[in-house]
Amino acid sequence: MTEALPASPEWHIHVVDDDAAFRRSLVFLLESMGWAVQAHASAADYLAHGLPALDETGCLLLDVRMPGMSGLELQQTLIARGCRLPIVFLTGHGDVELAVQAMKHGAFDFLEKPFKDQRLLDIVSAALRQREVELASRERADQASARLARLSPRETEVARLVAQGLPNKLVARALDISEKTVHIHRQHVMEKADVGSAAELARLMLQADPAALD
Amino acid sequence: MWLGVRVATLIALLCGVGLPAWGQDKPAVRIGVLAYLGADAAVEEWTPVATQLRRALPDRSVELLSLDHAALNKAAQSGQVDFVITNPGHYVELEARVRASRILTLQTGAALPTSAWQAVGAAVITLAGNPQVQHLADLRGQRVAIVGKEAFSGYQAVWRELAAEGIDPERDLRALHLVGLPMDRVLEAVASGAADAGFVRACMVESRPEWRARFRVVAPRAEPDFACATSTRVYPNWPIATLPHTDSALARAVTIALLEMRADSSPITWTVPADYQSVHDLQRELMIGPYANLRVPTLTALVQRYWPWLAGLLGLIVLGGFYTLHVERQVQARTAALRQAAREREELQARLRQSREQAEHMARLSVLGELSGTLAHELNQPLAAIGNYAQSLLRRIDNQRLTPEAAREAASEMAGQAERAAGVLGRIRAFAKKRVAQRRPTDPVALVQESVALFRGMQVHAPAVDVVDELRAGTMLTVDALQIQQVLLNLLKNGWDATRHLPPERQLLTVRLHQDAGGVHIAVRDRGDALSSEQQLHLFEPFFTTKTDGLGLGLSICRSIAEAHGGRLDAATAQDGPGLQLTLTLPHDDRSTTGLS
Repeated sequence: MTEALPASPEWHIHVVDDDAAFRRSLVFLLESMGWAVQAHASAADYLAHGLPALDETGCLLLDVRMPGMSGLELQQTLIARGCRLPIVFLTGHGDVELAVQAMKHGAFDFLEKPFKDQRLLDIVSAALRQREVELASRERADQASARLARLSPRETEVARLVAQGLPNKLVARALDISEKTVHIHRQHVMEKADVGSAAELARLMLQADPAALD
Repeated sequence: MWLGVRVATLIALLCGVGLPAWGQDKPAVRIGVLAYLGADAAVEEWTPVATQLRRALPDRSVELLSLDHAALNKAAQSGQVDFVITNPGHYVELEARVRASRILTLQTGAALPTSAWQAVGAAVITLAGNPQVQHLADLRGQRVAIVGKEAFSGYQAVWRELAAEGIDPERDLRALHLVGLPMDRVLEAVASGAADAGFVRACMVESRPEWRARFRVVAPRAEPDFACATSTRVYPNWPIATLPHTDSALARAVTIALLEMRADSSPITWTVPADYQSVHDLQRELMIGPYANLRVPTLTALVQRYWPWLAGLLGLIVLGGFYTLHVERQVQARTAALRQAAREREELQARLRQSREQAEHMARLSVLGELSGTLAHELNQPLAAIGNYAQSLLRRIDNQRLTPEAAREAASEMAGQAERAAGVLGRIRAFAKKRVAQRRPTDPVALVQESVALFRGMQVHAPAVDVVDELRAGTMLTVDALQIQQVLLNLLKNGWDATRHLPPERQLLTVRLHQDAGGVHIAVRDRGDALSSEQQLHLFEPFFTTKTDGLGLGLSICRSIAEAHGGRLDAATAQDGPGLQLTLTLPHDDRSTTGLS
């Protein structure tokens, strides 16, 4: 069991459900937990407020079955626009198929109606925490990318091989340049990226891009 | 044979009637005599009378006609004879029958002298050696010979004595042989043993030679002034009588002439007419002759007299009975057959009804099954909402953040949602319940609107449904609302299935209500792709479906529901633009006051 996060005015929890009564009850419950909630009657209604900011905190509670654009379709739209807000799907009885589909597309979790308030609390808290972690890691990656962005293309090539742990001699052979030139590039890389060792360089590159060393 | 008859007739004419008158212009005096001993004997017996009259009435011819009972009756009635000479019994009968009137009574018989008043008796004779018949009562069970039943002394006189003994000759004798005239045949029958006894005129047997050696008179009585052996009372002698048409002068002349006959010169003499009261007594007692109408007809007598009619009647009754029985049996058989047929038809109808109800029920369940996902969704929503409110309240109490306003809001929402859930359940139950049809006056517009609401409630992405009401205000239908609702749901679902894959503007469904002389029409129209004519042809057949998951029962059941209401269900391609229009037509409500003007 996860502890509920303390309420924060920066977190926005969005509820999208066509059933007004259920929507109101969900808002009422989330407010009981001290969270700020914004309710929307449909996907269109939600999108009418504009796409959420890329660094927006919070999460999305989405009914899978809705007239007009369904929950799944909204999920697709958001993914296409690069929005990575965690989505918790709300499903009715017998909608497991839809829930599985949603999970494949990267949904954070799903809740089958009716649900225990504690489970809602746990899932929403986890989603919020994940969003927080994600935003933090994205910020670190951004900083790392900014530092690596200072390197010239050749220096980037050298940096990648060094980060993989290759000695200068093998780097020179791989790039078909002299060992001395590799040495000069390596010094520039260390200076520009502000790292002191090959290991530090590797961590920085992975922060910027988890697939950088593949 | 034919020639023989002709010759016999001619001889009879020549000898019997015509001959004595022929060649003479004298008017005839015709005297009919009863021939109890035979025609020849009679003529011979009465010849002295004829002789006397010829002498006394020289200007007249005299004819003696010897006749039996029936012929004498006929001759007297038709006027063929002027006088009749007959036995006392027959005379009394003729008195009544043709108003015969006696003028003289025979004084002396042919053989033995007797008194005119005590002259006729009867003897019951048997063989001299026969000891069995000693008294008249001994005649019971014996065979008796008589000349005929009309014979006075030969039968009726004895009958009277037997009746006094309680014997009915017709019933109590073993046999009554009618031997016919002459009376000698009776003697012959007794002599030959063909009969145990015989009835003959008294004095007759005495005139036969050596009669005592052969015959014996049974129970002879002593009668004053009567010389012969008689077994009966004695009666006045034979009379000569006039008839109504007899000329009175002639009667007088004849009377005088006959009174002049003397015993010394003639075997026959006449005297003043005797009193025939004793003969009347006899006939009254025996209820014969003029007293025959006294006879209370016994059943036996009636049967004997009318047996052909009775037999015919009985036959008819029996036939009628058979016919009645036959008809009755046929009626029973037919009735049984009818009852059987009616019972079978009822059973068949019950089975049909049952199977139709089952099919409807199945169709409802299948529709329900298709809709169960959405129904569960329908039910889940209010339940989830109630759960949320309840948990919120607990949480707020724990947090000590529960305001009265929040509690009120939550509680009223929960109550509302509980009601909503109950409503959903109620609809499902009403829809799925097996039920007997109940027809009630129903507002068709309300019914359509309710069905549309229900249909939309069951669908996730319900299409828009336009309801166009063109009915006269207050139009009512007497229908089973649930069945019609089922039809409408099916039609809406069909329309929706045909268009759900199409762009939104083609998903619109229209329900139009209108009326004409043919009834109230509820037309459900979609804007889907056209059906092939082949598909349209089979649209209402059971198990025909264009859907991958359909049973194909919906429309066929809808049509049977429509027909059960006296209506129909028709499919037609829409007039304006794409789509199919299914029209449910229901007859006007008879009780509804709003008709067509």
